[in-house]
Amino acid sequence: MIKFLKLYEKIGIFILIVLASVVLSIMSPHFLQVRTLLSIAAQGTYAAIIGFGMTLALTMKAFDLSVDAVLALTSVFVAIFIPMVGVPLAIVFSLLIAASVGMVNGLIVTKLGVNPLITTLAMMTIIRGIALLVVGGRQVIITDPDRVFRVIGTGRIFGIPNQIYIMLLLFAIFFIMLYHTPFGRHISAVGSNESAARISGLRVDLIKIAVFMLVSFTAGVVGIIRTSQSLIGIPTMAPDFVLVVLTVAILGGTSLAGGKGNLWGTLFAGIFISMIYYGLNLLGVQIFYQIFSVGLVLLFALFVDGIRTRYLAIAKAKGIKM
Amino acid sequence: MVELQARSLRVKIAQQWGSLGLPFLLVAVVILFSFLSPVFRTQFNFLSILRFASFIAISAVGMAFCIMAGEFDISVGSMMALVGVLGASFVPVIGGFAAVLTTIAISSFLGFVNGIFITKLKIPAFITTLGMMFVFRSLAYIYTDNVSVYIDNDFWLYMGNGRVLGIHFPIILMVLCFVGGYLMLRKTPFGRYVVAVGTNAKAAELSGIHVDRIKIAVFVMVGFFVGISSVVISANMGVANPGLLGQGYEFQVITAVVLGGTLLGGGNGSLGGALLAALILGSLRNGMNLMQVSSYWQQVVTGSVLIFAVAINRLRYTLMGQEA
Amino acid sequence: MGKTKLLKIVLVSFVSLAFVFTFSFVGCAQVEEVIEEPIEDIIEDPIEDIIEDPEEEPVPDEPDVEPMEVPEEITIGFSVWTMEFTFFQRVERGVRDAAEDYGFEYIMMDQQSDATKMVEDINTLVGMGVDAISITPVDPGAIGPAVQNARDAGIPVVCADIGFSGPVNALIISDNYLGGQLAAEYMHELLADAPDHSWEFGLGNLSPEWTYARQRGEGFRDKAEELGYEIASELIVDPPDAEGGFDTMQQIMSAAPDIVGAFFCSGREAVGAARAVEAAGEDILVVGYNGDPEELLAIQDGILAATILQLPYEIGYQSVEILYEILVEGAEYEQEEIGAPVELVTPENLDDIAAMIEETTGISAFE
Repeated sequence: MIKFLKLYEKIGIFILIVLASVVLSIMSPHFLQVRTLLSIAAQGTYAAIIGFGMTLALTMKAFDLSVDAVLALTSVFVAIFIPMVGVPLAIVFSLLIAASVGMVNGLIVTKLGVNPLITTLAMMTIIRGIALLVVGGRQVIITDPDRVFRVIGTGRIFGIPNQIYIMLLLFAIFFIMLYHTPFGRHISAVGSNESAARISGLRVDLIKIAVFMLVSFTAGVVGIIRTSQSLIGIPTMAPDFVLVVLTVAILGGTSLAGGKGNLWGTLFAGIFISMIYYGLNLLGVQIFYQIFSVGLVLLFALFVDGIRTRYLAIAKAKGIKM
Repeated sequence: MVELQARSLRVKIAQQWGSLGLPFLLVAVVILFSFLSPVFRTQFNFLSILRFASFIAISAVGMAFCIMAGEFDISVGSMMALVGVLGASFVPVIGGFAAVLTTIAISSFLGFVNGIFITKLKIPAFITTLGMMFVFRSLAYIYTDNVSVYIDNDFWLYMGNGRVLGIHFPIILMVLCFVGGYLMLRKTPFGRYVVAVGTNAKAAELSGIHVDRIKIAVFVMVGFFVGISSVVISANMGVANPGLLGQGYEFQVITAVVLGGTLLGGGNGSLGGALLAALILGSLRNGMNLMQVSSYWQQVVTGSVLIFAVAINRLRYTLMGQEA
Repeated sequence: MGKTKLLKIVLVSFVSLAFVFTFSFVGCAQVEEVIEEPIEDIIEDPIEDIIEDPEEEPVPDEPDVEPMEVPEEITIGFSVWTMEFTFFQRVERGVRDAAEDYGFEYIMMDQQSDATKMVEDINTLVGMGVDAISITPVDPGAIGPAVQNARDAGIPVVCADIGFSGPVNALIISDNYLGGQLAAEYMHELLADAPDHSWEFGLGNLSPEWTYARQRGEGFRDKAEELGYEIASELIVDPPDAEGGFDTMQQIMSAAPDIVGAFFCSGREAVGAARAVEAAGEDILVVGYNGDPEELLAIQDGILAATILQLPYEIGYQSVEILYEILVEGAEYEQEEIGAPVELVTPENLDDIAAMIEETTGISAFE
């Protein structure tokens, strides 16, 4: 059983993707075309990018419900800033704002001792409120006369949509950060045993704040990609997107028990969810079924994670080497 | 000696939150808005505040038990929508009274499902109920095709709009639920078990309490009270809408319980505090609506109140010298 | 130890609050900026301009004089879906201007897309003792009981757009079915030049509860099929805004790569869809519905082929006119549906339409 679970952790998501591909290519003659595949991959990037941040948070045994609100906040701010300071600075400023929301999350969690769920749940409401306040509830149209800003989300290099490159770049950064730096090891240490990490002298609060900032940063990146596609700053952007993000992170094999993050899994889970959407659209089903199926996928992923955690605990108790 | 006195004073202040702090807060809010808005201090308006508070408070009873037991349920808003549309659609077939009972039965069952997932599969409550939140909501959409279900039944409508001696029926229902909840918490072994499980689940297990059963029971209670609220709220609106019924509801209910002084993470809590907190939330919302405060500001305020409430609890328990 | 911890807690709460407030005040400043401009515009445009708009619709006879006869105390309550969308901002502007023109007091409440708040708001308005209510309901199905309350209290109720339930006096709404037909006809016209094109269309529809607005889709489908087209892919756009339109269009193009045109039942969704077509480098006509600034700009940009213009300002204005007729002139209305005109906006007539919008509403068509 443990072997099986280990195996699942490594390649489970690939099996799901292969199964989905077989089903989809039977369903639609258009599926196995480069254009369709690229489109699916491109639409999977949004959840995957925030999923990287969420994976870090889960590794630390925390998580962040405010990501979709941060996405909307970034969208609004970048739209406001562009006419004021130009595209590059606007992007930098709005990403800073996104990250500072993460800092507030982190400060509330660490300094006020409020648990992450409640903090980010409340912050989700607050940030959505602020996003709406900032623009008085309006949507902000970006004129983009030089056609620079729109390139981020709609341009292509060698025929591949830009957002895929952005995703891969972030993946590389997060991968190195989580697996090959002291910071990454510290995150895992906090996630597996917080008090032990504290005793061993890690600055736990600082690490937590940094991780919350990274999560919000990834949400900000997606906010900018999404905004550059429609060229409208939308204060209500991406309602409930956090469900998809959490599903992607957990389905990818990152355990709720903390300590272990699986970034590869997150990357491919993003694509898998996108494939599910594609399939459901082929069936022409209502949008409600899509939310429903993502919810079911989340419960399935949780179910697997629950079993895994349980068996690993039993194995540990029995002293089996893992 | 002085230190001891100071300590006991701090403990006293901290302990008096429920009986002094909350009433003070409530009075402050009421006085503030009475000055700001003449409409606020009319009898008509006080009744509507009470009625609005009852929408939150009824579910807060169940949620208080759940949080005391150390668990958590954020699926309540979606659960409300799902059972509301289901129940309302049964009305023409089985009549109003039976439909109300069925609604409550279904939501209790959904609570049971939550409980099973959480205890038997050992998945943390917050994430299970987060998933359920979306599953319930989308099931409500799927069942109705996102078309509102009209309620045209006197009994059902009475649950939300009826009056006894000039007082709205939901208010009376709220009082009944609280008395029932209070008796259950303080006068039955079940209440003691819930607190024991929330304080220290391992110790409770060792002392022979079936922790899982208690946990499942509190989730069923959450469902039960959500069922009642669902009927009341949909009756008040005259329609059960799958998308809008219970939108943001989990937020209000949890805020009420936490502001009422129940500690997240379990242990002893206060039902009376939750009731007062619901009244505070009701007054705040009503007052802000009358003042025509932008709803975006209201969002910011409600979110801040929740963080404030948890932080206050945390501070109280630190003052009381307990590790929260 | 205790003290430092407390200090820390106080400090942190202060910082977080400061954070929240700074942003919010930045926000307020922004809001004021946004609001200021149109107000100036209005002051520059004499109010007569707005009222003496020639053929668009019958305007009350000499409202400049009439306010004198109206008792000062008449108060109109308006409950609006959300002030988030330009469309509803224009409805609100129409209601507000009409209230001003007739010398009514005016109270606006924003439902913020929340049906519970909508019901509360209507009941609050009744409790405040307003004399008449105009509603643009977020959930037309849910207003029934609240409308009943208002009518019981002798307050007339008119719905400005969307739909209604319960005993409202009137509903003012655009001819949605006709709008959909216009879109199909126009696309057919544009395609006539290319004889060898495919006969497939895509349709970005609205969620089923929008009974009235979905008639746009029905109108489009019926007309398109009559002209010999097939609706190869139909999806409901979610979330119903530009980003949802972008995603939906990508999905439609994946599922039905051969389409030559797509109709989106709502404006901003159409803009998102048009951006998706642009990004994919395809040659697909996209037509929207509403006439929001985003759409007009997109038509100007040449990425959106056309849109169907609704007249939200007029809908709002008309709702107060009808309330005036009921309150002051004693006219009888019971559950009447009053159609509002729609118009096709193409690159050719864009400038004229924009001028017309600016003239009637005092707000530029593009902001």
